[in-house]
Amino acid sequence: MAIHLSRTFVLRKLHQLSGIVPLGIFVLEHFYTNSKAINGAGAFNEAVKDLQAIPYILFVEIGGIFIPLIYHAVYGLVITMEARPNNLNYPYPRNWFYLIQRTTGVILFFFIAFHLLHFRFGLIPGLNPTSVAHRPDIAFEIVSRGFSSVPIFLVYMVGITATVWHLANGVWLFMVDWGITIGERAQRLTGYACIGFGIFLLLVGINAAVAFIRPGGLLGGIL
Amino acid sequence: MSTQAHASKAKRVPSKSVEIHIKRRANPDSPSYWEQFEIPYRPNLNVISCLMEIQANPVTKEGKPTTPPVWQMNCLEQVCGICTMVINGRARQSCSALIDNLDQPIKLEPMQKFSNIRDLVVDRSRMFDHLKQVNAWIELDGTHDLGPGPRMDQDDVQERYAYSRCMTCGCCLEACPQYDEDNYIGPQAIAQVRLFNMHPTGAMSRDARLEGIMQEDGITNCGNAQNCIKACPMGIPLTRAIYEENRETVVHGLFGWLKK
Repeated sequence: MAIHLSRTFVLRKLHQLSGIVPLGIFVLEHFYTNSKAINGAGAFNEAVKDLQAIPYILFVEIGGIFIPLIYHAVYGLVITMEARPNNLNYPYPRNWFYLIQRTTGVILFFFIAFHLLHFRFGLIPGLNPTSVAHRPDIAFEIVSRGFSSVPIFLVYMVGITATVWHLANGVWLFMVDWGITIGERAQRLTGYACIGFGIFLLLVGINAAVAFIRPGGLLGGIL
Repeated sequence: MSTQAHASKAKRVPSKSVEIHIKRRANPDSPSYWEQFEIPYRPNLNVISCLMEIQANPVTKEGKPTTPPVWQMNCLEQVCGICTMVINGRARQSCSALIDNLDQPIKLEPMQKFSNIRDLVVDRSRMFDHLKQVNAWIELDGTHDLGPGPRMDQDDVQERYAYSRCMTCGCCLEACPQYDEDNYIGPQAIAQVRLFNMHPTGAMSRDARLEGIMQEDGITNCGNAQNCIKACPMGIPLTRAIYEENRETVVHGLFGWLKK
């Protein structure tokens, strides 16, 4: 017999999938490009220029990033509104993870909206009126100037941390939601793997951000 | 298991009396209110024996006569699940909740995820509806002798035994942060899908069960907070059941069209 797929089932599966492909993959690409800043302004600007030279860039950006991003964000908020947290009566790690996943999701909704307007589109007049993507020649300088403000830099630290948590825990969630991880031992082992992945990603993400205000990043001049 | 671990952390009060706060409600349409009771301490009291004490002499701590509190009970050995209530914030059976292991004052509330009928009594018929929604039975109809059933792997027998211990108490639904107003079918029914899908004869109606857990209130509403497995008094591997069924719904539901 053919199994009927309900609307909720399809929407949830798309939500789970979109967090990994394409959004998770995009975060990795984004951190890679950011890390070019460790090699200096020239290397970063070159990377921005290369990205802008991707064939069909408009369709790649709209279909591969903007549509999945908006879907994941908006439907994520719908899911978040269903939550009835009870962490004080049931104070278990996974229950905290459940709450933090939703909290970081809400933080990211606002952070990513700000981040896009700030750097991708350059539409925040008081802060930055120039799109990084449209001016590869001065891309590094735009970001560097933005990060020279301590509050802005701190906002990005919070944003990067929330992104890393949401993605690393999201990978674990994807694996159980799609029936890849099943048993308790497998849940534990993939949990450790995701923590390791998250720590690695956090170090890379923060180091890349620091590289815009300190040449070479955290280890600049040492390595 | 987990409830015992939780209880062992509670401080033991060698008091001469037991103070109990009960969240009461006269009928489904009236508002709820708290009443405080105090009864003399004696060794080996559990929540139900305290309730019986209060029922015999329904006078509040302030000395005001009141109606006897109402609750449900049956087996008194944590097998039937009917006496489940929220004790100091956590859903558990009141028969196995020993006073010596509980923080005082002891707060008794009806489960909040089910409609409250009176005092500590709730209507849990939703869980039976869920079992019907997922075909939680094995079709065995036949007027003639069908012979012995198919043999089963011993590991499967062990795993199925764990799922078969569900007593439909509702602790998993009460503890679940996703379950509210019946928007999610919950771990209880999903574990029964696993139980019957693992059975060689039951597997013949697998797709009907999968469709049952793939509806609007289905398995995808799980938020992986995993409170269910901690709250289950029978130690049922509920998260395992959910993730096994995640796999079945992905393979046979989502990717089923690839075999057509």
